[in-house]
Amino acid sequence: MYYKFSGFTQRLTGAVSSSAYSPQGLRSTIPSESPTIIFTTPTKLVSESSAAVEYMGGNKVPDLQRIFQASDEIPVHLKRGVPDRLLYRTTMALTVGGALYCLVALYIAAQPKNK
Amino acid sequence: MAHQAHAYHMVDPSPWPLTGAIAALLMTSGLAVWFHFHSTTLMTLGLILLLLTMHQWWRDIIREGTFQGHHTPPVQKGLRYGMILFITSEVFFFLGFFWAFYHSSLAPTPELGGCWPPTGITPLDPFEVPLLNTAVLLASGVTVTWTHHSIMEGERKQAIQSLTLTILLGLYFTALQAMEYYEAPFTIADGVYGSTFFVATGFHGLHVIIGSTFLAVCLLRQIQYHFTSEHHFGFEAAAWYWHFVDVVWLFLYVSIYWWGS
Repeated sequence: MYYKFSGFTQRLTGAVSSSAYSPQGLRSTIPSESPTIIFTTPTKLVSESSAAVEYMGGNKVPDLQRIFQASDEIPVHLKRGVPDRLLYRTTMALTVGGALYCLVALYIAAQPKNK
Repeated sequence: MAHQAHAYHMVDPSPWPLTGAIAALLMTSGLAVWFHFHSTTLMTLGLILLLLTMHQWWRDIIREGTFQGHHTPPVQKGLRYGMILFITSEVFFFLGFFWAFYHSSLAPTPELGGCWPPTGITPLDPFEVPLLNTAVLLASGVTVTWTHHSIMEGERKQAIQSLTLTILLGLYFTALQAMEYYEAPFTIADGVYGSTFFVATGFHGLHVIIGSTFLAVCLLRQIQYHFTSEHHFGFEAAAWYWHFVDVVWLFLYVSIYWWGS
């Protein structure tokens, strides 16, 4: 009976002779010296490196932080200017219009049905 | 920016609570108008307003947290409490439907044939698509945990890939469940069996869609570098919600699909 240490169960388990004579991870076909360990690649400037280095786009958070932290007393929901104003005005128009339409609809719905 | 001598967040005046409240008014009145006058205009208007409110309100929270730095540790603690309390309220919501199911299934009335499943109902085989759905959601729980660890370790690419996988699994669940709904040999109108089955699994499916959407927003934010390895509460909230959805499914599967078949 041959034994090996199972990395999965963390116990000794039964094995065939081939794995006993060549423990996990060490096989005669693979050279014994490991490749040089690379801890880090040298830092490259974003301007030097190719676009592929930025995985799915660059970091725009610092620019956005600058925009939103500007001391201009504008509330956060309007701080981006035109697109915010457009969306706000559309929403408010639907709100006021919708509320009035709702009141009219409820008034009509409350009328008794004519026989 | 005004200076403050405390770490809490005094929010700017915001119109979104008002627009949200009006949206709720429009949706509920619209529902009544639809039932009595066959017009969906008011309800649709309410839904549009709800979507606009949610988009702008949550967009503003992202601006306040990620871009303006208002989410200090005490503020984040409050957000955590808030999410936990919300999920707890959802647990109670589902508890009601489980109560309804067990009320009807533990003591089946003579009208049902005195048995569960009731006479004439052919339940779905729990070891076919429902079991696959269980595996899909459990796998998505693993992938979302992988995402969390990737974010904490600063592994951007892995976080994006594992989060994408999580969302795809969620969509796969939804597609499978939609197919099951279409193919099911019984409908919501088939007595109390149909009612309990479709209302409980239906609300669960809605929560899967909501959870998938929440995760998708987190994916967009992760791509745009919003999350840091130390601070990514938006993602944590989405992950908590996703685990909750997963647990509800496990209860649904064991109670309704398996025990109830």
